[in-house]
Amino acid sequence: MSAEQLKTAWTDQDTKALSDTLAGAVASALESEAPKDMTEEQAARLRNALSSALAKEAVLDARRAARRFFEEETKREKRAVREQVRVDKVADSVERLSLHIRVQHMILFSSCILLIVTGLPIKFHESAIAAFLIDIMGGPSVTRILHRIGAIALTFIGVYHIYYCMVFKEGRKTFDLLIPKLQDGKDALHQILYFVGIKKDRPLFGRFSYIEKFDYWAVYWGMVVMITSGYILWFKDWAINAFGKYVFDIGREAHSDEALLATLAIVIWHFYNVHFNPHKFPGSLTWLNGKISMEEFKEEHPLEYEEWLAAREKGGDS
Amino acid sequence: MTPGRTLSTRSRRALLALAVALAAACLAVGTAAQEDVRCLSCHGKPGFKKTLASGKVLELFVDPTSLRLSVHKDKHCVDCHADVSEVPHPNVPQKVNCRRCHYSGNTAGAPQIEKYVEFEQSVHGKALAEGNTKAPACQDCHGDHFILPGSDPRSEVSHKNLPQVCGRCHLEIFGQYEASVHGKALAKGIMDAPVCTNCHGEHTIRKAADASSSVNAGHVANTCAKCHAKVVIMEKYGVKAEQVATYNESFHGIANEFGVLTAANCASCHTAHDILPENDPRSSVNAANIPKTCGKCHAGANANFANGRIHINAKDKSAGIVYWIALGFKILTLSTLAGLFVHIGLDLYRKFRNRKAHHGEAKP
Repeated sequence: MSAEQLKTAWTDQDTKALSDTLAGAVASALESEAPKDMTEEQAARLRNALSSALAKEAVLDARRAARRFFEEETKREKRAVREQVRVDKVADSVERLSLHIRVQHMILFSSCILLIVTGLPIKFHESAIAAFLIDIMGGPSVTRILHRIGAIALTFIGVYHIYYCMVFKEGRKTFDLLIPKLQDGKDALHQILYFVGIKKDRPLFGRFSYIEKFDYWAVYWGMVVMITSGYILWFKDWAINAFGKYVFDIGREAHSDEALLATLAIVIWHFYNVHFNPHKFPGSLTWLNGKISMEEFKEEHPLEYEEWLAAREKGGDS
Repeated sequence: MTPGRTLSTRSRRALLALAVALAAACLAVGTAAQEDVRCLSCHGKPGFKKTLASGKVLELFVDPTSLRLSVHKDKHCVDCHADVSEVPHPNVPQKVNCRRCHYSGNTAGAPQIEKYVEFEQSVHGKALAEGNTKAPACQDCHGDHFILPGSDPRSEVSHKNLPQVCGRCHLEIFGQYEASVHGKALAKGIMDAPVCTNCHGEHTIRKAADASSSVNAGHVANTCAKCHAKVVIMEKYGVKAEQVATYNESFHGIANEFGVLTAANCASCHTAHDILPENDPRSSVNAANIPKTCGKCHAGANANFANGRIHINAKDKSAGIVYWIALGFKILTLSTLAGLFVHIGLDLYRKFRNRKAHHGEAKP
């Protein structure tokens, strides 16, 4: 802070106003103390004494006031910066999916891609692309091994997910939120009515909308069907000896049909919702960093956003 | 200079040889028929034969009418027995070489096809070339003097007679074939029934292990399909033509299609020559024999392998529970996809409308 700046803060007008106020106050204070008669010479000497005393006090007080002022000012600025930082952070994005969830999802989709690429060519064996795919992967003897590697990965993640849902706090909470409720049906209806223009605003979703719940339970159903039937096909001799040839046939039909259903559902539905939807195109990175933009968070999961804000205000300022 | 002086001695000799050859040819046309008379003076006598040093009796009688009724009716003895020029024969006449006429581009009137080349590459031709005295040459299947086209029922290689021809050497397999559903049908006069050549080929017969063989593991299904995929043929005998398609859709069929030749083909279960209907207790696909048949590959297969159908067409009610499961999944898949598409379509519709509305506000 330079003297020049301080001088500007203290203008001539301020000086004049101050001296007028001061002169009046000093005159009334002296009225009781001073003798009735004073010579011209006495009055001049009193003026000198008062001026120096007042100037001395005024400088000390001004110094104190200025110090106090700047201390307050610094505190205010610091608080404002802190607030701004928080506001900026909030406006950007929030981690919605934990690393634990993300890793499960990565293992799930990697094994699914491997299984689809090595499995569907068997279902569509007559097509040229099937022969091409099998060929570039090294022939049926290689693809059957790849398919079984995928099967083991999928089984592992399926079993691990159940463990996750039972043992981890986050897993239990997440699973609870994924259980379908009556509200999901209402939300779906509301959403459709909004789409066709009957309702003016969209339903307010919590952590998982009915769309996400559908995705989750479709995978759940698919895993149960594919893993059960898949192991019947893998351990066919044992399965036929134990249950009969028709059980193998059921397994084969279910495996083949559910494979197509799951693939189509993923390609059409899941890809639309997270990749090809005009709002998301060409795809979000949520699967990798777990983050969702604040804007999207408020838009897609308003109820979860409210909860998040409330939790933040309760424990976030410490 | 006179022309005579310009010819060298060698040229003159060549001209002379040509003249003699021409004269001989002219004579031959006139005398071939007379030659036949000369041959038949011995070979035309019934019972004319020779006992070889090995003790084997060689029948040498030739019925002249048999040649006259055959496809070679215009040929004469020496056209084929080209090495015979003297009587009595100073050397033992060689076996007739059919290739003298039977090649593409011949001028003797034989069909313009390369059957002989095909034969040379076949299992029989190769064995013959290697000096196997048991390997058959043309005459061993087609006969010698009384050769008729395969379409003639009297021909040795006619559809009806062919199994016996092959059976002369392949005795055991002939026995199996005769007892099989195909052999019995042929015996009944059903000409749709396959004979040896329908599966193995005629002049192209190769070992099953040969990848180009029609009975190689990679080709068996296609070979059987030549008849078994034809509804017109199969419906006459109450056999399902869809068995070919159901095999092609099975894991066995798909593996086979992608070159896994250890996967079962038609013959792996139905056998090659012993093929019998499912309800015959001797059949390899009779329920009682299923564990043994499947057990050839699926070690330890038990009676439960027969508990269910083999050729399954999931689109047909005969598939039982598999049909209902397939139908269930079809409904589930179609309804799910329809729902998803409607949802996506409505979502896009709303987004489009919203965008249009915003656009309208922007420019009043």
